[in-house]
Amino acid sequence: MLTSISSFLGSDANLIWFMIVLPAVVGVVLWLIKNYPLRLILGLASAAANLLFAVSLFRSEGFYKVFPFAAGGLNISFNVYGFSSLFLTFIAVCFLLVILYSVVYFKGKKHAGLFLLYMYISLAMMNGAFMSDNLGILLFFWEGLLCTLFGILLINNLHHPRTAVKALILAGTADLLMMLGIIITAYQAGTLCISQMEKLPVAGAAAVGFACMMLGAIGKAGSMPFHSWIPNAAEDAPTPFMVAFPAALEKFLGIYLAARIVMDIYDVQPGSGASIAVMTIGTLTIVLAVAMALIQKDMKRLLSYHAISQVGYMVLGIGTALPIGIMGGIFHMLNHVIYKSCLFMTAGSVELQTGTTDLKQFSGLGRKMPLTMTCFIISALAISGVPPLNGFFSKELVFDAALESNIVFYLGALLGAFMTAISFLKLGRAAFGGELKLPAGRQNVRESGPGIFLPMAVLAILCVLFGVANTLPLDGLLGPAVGDPHKYSGWPHSATLVVISVAVLLLALVDHLYGSRKSGGALYAADHIHYAPGLKTIYDLAERQVFDPYIWLLQIARGVSAVCNWIERGIIWLYDDAVVGIVKGAGNLLQRANDGSLSRYLLVAVSGVAGIIALFLAIN
Amino acid sequence: MGSEVLLVCICVPLFGSFLLPLLGMINIKLRNAAALIFTATAFVCAALALPEVLAGTPLSLHYELPLGLSFGFYADVLAVFMALTSSLVATIIVIYSFEYIKEYDHQNEYYMMVCLFIGTMMGLVFSTNLIFIYIFWEISAICCWRLIGFYREEITIRRANKAFIVTVVGALIMLVGFVGIYGQTGTFDLAAMKGTHLPAWIVILILFGVLSKSATFPLHNWLPDAGVAPSPVTSLLHAAVLVKIGVYIYARLFVNSFEIDKVFTVAVPIIAAVSALVSAGVALRENDIKRIIAYSTISQLAFILLGLSSGTEIGVLGGLLYILMHSVAKGGLFLCAGIVEHTLHTKDITKMGGLYKGMPLTALAFLFCAFSVMGIPPFGGFFAKYLVIDGIISAGNVGLGAVFIAGAVMTVLYLSRLFIKVFLGETVSDAREAGSPVMVASVVVLAILSVALGISIHWPSGFASLIGGGI
Repeated sequence: MLTSISSFLGSDANLIWFMIVLPAVVGVVLWLIKNYPLRLILGLASAAANLLFAVSLFRSEGFYKVFPFAAGGLNISFNVYGFSSLFLTFIAVCFLLVILYSVVYFKGKKHAGLFLLYMYISLAMMNGAFMSDNLGILLFFWEGLLCTLFGILLINNLHHPRTAVKALILAGTADLLMMLGIIITAYQAGTLCISQMEKLPVAGAAAVGFACMMLGAIGKAGSMPFHSWIPNAAEDAPTPFMVAFPAALEKFLGIYLAARIVMDIYDVQPGSGASIAVMTIGTLTIVLAVAMALIQKDMKRLLSYHAISQVGYMVLGIGTALPIGIMGGIFHMLNHVIYKSCLFMTAGSVELQTGTTDLKQFSGLGRKMPLTMTCFIISALAISGVPPLNGFFSKELVFDAALESNIVFYLGALLGAFMTAISFLKLGRAAFGGELKLPAGRQNVRESGPGIFLPMAVLAILCVLFGVANTLPLDGLLGPAVGDPHKYSGWPHSATLVVISVAVLLLALVDHLYGSRKSGGALYAADHIHYAPGLKTIYDLAERQVFDPYIWLLQIARGVSAVCNWIERGIIWLYDDAVVGIVKGAGNLLQRANDGSLSRYLLVAVSGVAGIIALFLAIN
Repeated sequence: MGSEVLLVCICVPLFGSFLLPLLGMINIKLRNAAALIFTATAFVCAALALPEVLAGTPLSLHYELPLGLSFGFYADVLAVFMALTSSLVATIIVIYSFEYIKEYDHQNEYYMMVCLFIGTMMGLVFSTNLIFIYIFWEISAICCWRLIGFYREEITIRRANKAFIVTVVGALIMLVGFVGIYGQTGTFDLAAMKGTHLPAWIVILILFGVLSKSATFPLHNWLPDAGVAPSPVTSLLHAAVLVKIGVYIYARLFVNSFEIDKVFTVAVPIIAAVSALVSAGVALRENDIKRIIAYSTISQLAFILLGLSSGTEIGVLGGLLYILMHSVAKGGLFLCAGIVEHTLHTKDITKMGGLYKGMPLTALAFLFCAFSVMGIPPFGGFFAKYLVIDGIISAGNVGLGAVFIAGAVMTVLYLSRLFIKVFLGETVSDAREAGSPVMVASVVVLAILSVALGISIHWPSGFASLIGGGI
């Protein structure tokens, strides 16, 4: 059956109709129908159909289709092959779970339809981006996500559009950089189609192209410096948004392109300047974001900083330009989507029951919500890199590659792992452990229903499965898709690295126990780091957004604006005062000369005639 | 379709405009209907000329006169593209005006001038003779002078005079350039001099005219000041007719007709870059809704000029698409601003906020048009912006490409600032009235066009690429 579906999709323009137009249309329909069961059924059925299409494309031999779209070389050329259709499948699985979760989460809430509309349009855009071989068209789908991002963040926030605007400006800047990068790349390569490109050396103008494209790609994934809207979104946006966008969909998209830049478009040599630059961004992202996560007292905000920090590992892995690093980066992305979506879903589950994610307001939920807690524990262990869960294996691959490049990056990554473990120990024990404490008016807290639990459980099982049986994702899915014959599955080959990682985890446990004893509570277990001399000042500045690139961008813009305004005032003065003054002055002067004195007129006339005669004589 | 359709296209609005005051004395509704019919005629006739022009047989009319004054009208793809863009937006603006203008004095003159404006625009785009181009150019200056001064207050009259003087002085300098061309070729007929190489001094003289009309730094200052005019007028000036005349003439003369020195493919983009950045910077600081959008126009015109002057086929394609997308979106932005101004009786954005509640459709239309100007897909502006940047980079100028990307980031900044200050946030005013249905419908049509032109980019870009192909 899969073969017939894929051959159907491959004929005529069916790829456009069924992978792009259909999701958008379904979105409109879901927006219009208000009936909950109908919405659930249609949502699940359409997401399942999308998954079926994606799987059939993945299992097919792949094909290349060109549809004329716009002049100027912007043809829709779709290249469905192993790597792109694998990502189509990833996103389809994730989308199905997110839709189930969202429909249930939004039951009885306002704007559910609008949320689903934006989600389905986003799916259409992402399907398009993954299939695009033409970089210009890829940008079209890629940048089109700005509209849905802005729209979703405005839901319920029309009075308070801070986050939506911040996201629009940061993501918009990243996308415009990407536009510049793509155009430079295409100009250097002589073609817009990735499949026709020969790997470009990163030098001269192409280096600018590489930098812009890479910044755009990792910016989409949530890496620094375009990350700072995500923690704000954690406060303002509905939880399913966090599950869908920062945790999952944007990671797929950004890392997909980052990997393709390194694998197909640019010839990045391990140890080269380009590689080191990307790895530096990755490492900084890991360390700085996790350091911020450490001090958060709100579940969603804490998780959102981890959504940034974890991108650092992916960027670091891909930035090494080593096959093991690229594989580790992509595998880590996949694992991250699984456990981070699960974590955000548990936060949403808690939020549905307690009405808040502020950790100061509740504790000891484990007894009331054991299933949510179980899912949380599994995914928290996975993100902390505890063997034998999936996060452990991908982190080890990245560690391996980082160490091979430069020990500084390895140490940075290790520091990140240490702080990740601390913050999840704190979060888990604060939320689910200890005395039962509930917010006022929310005393009858109970386990969430199946619509919320099911997607979490599936993801938690995947955390275990992709760890214990990592042959499946590594050798079964990623290896063939990337085209890397090396087998990365099984236990990490370097026992030393594993010992160090485990030692770091134990150290984190010790630090947590020390911290919670010192400050008297799991929630405050990281306070000895937060308020350490020196660190406290830096944290205070960070909390005041001094290090926020968004604020820098606005300040630069304000500075430019002030200079421009100064120039403009000059121009206005020139037109409104200077020219007017000169004309008036000249008029006054002439008026004064015309005072009726006959002798003066005679003088002017005689000298005028003399002047004309002199001119004639001079010419002759 | 005979070539006479061009005469109808030009003469109906051009001469029909003089009938409007007379009709207005008889019956206001009759006058309004006539104004709409005259404007729509221009659009319909341009559309009628389309099939033959696309088939590769341009329409032309020719009248022999002595002294190089032989003139005619000629409709190639470029001319029809421009005529369609202008007359489409102008028609929507006329419909919008019915409601907006109805409570003011001097309506007869208003409709006459608007209609005359469109007639001169049609005449200008189809003319083959430089002297006729100049005459239409100056008539348009007179129309714009009367329309900017519509409210007859002292400040509006002063601003109208400023616009008039700047554009007319620019045009006079341009006229010297035209005479220079005559000295070179012995004719004013564009067809007869195709392919001539123009010396730099003539190009510079003509650029004065182009830059003053298309409000490019440092000859741009009259445009934000013209914001004192009624909103449909500013919309007309910014979107449909006036400022597009300059860039059209640039395309017609320097892209389509003459050969110019290579130095201008760098010099003009640099002027455009300064213009784009300075005006975007000012737009970020202004608090007057119409001045912000006006500075935005100056900034976006620089993108158009960049594309047209890049010297690459792809840049010209981008520049032409930019003319279309910008006309539609900017027209929409000004008409939205008009609804806001009409409702709140202020242009100060610090006194606005939360207007999405009272006027959700206007807010959405504004957002759509703003997205198009920002260049966000699937809105049409994306393709124009992409192709323009592609054009300058294909010309080998990565640095200028980066400067314009910075300009595009500034665009996102000032337009999102404007949108949130006006439509989002806490409700400052309790204005509930969302403008009349006709006015809201006009902006919604323009907003839908902004999306539709992006999604169906196949057709407009194919159309525009035919022009590029003729270069």
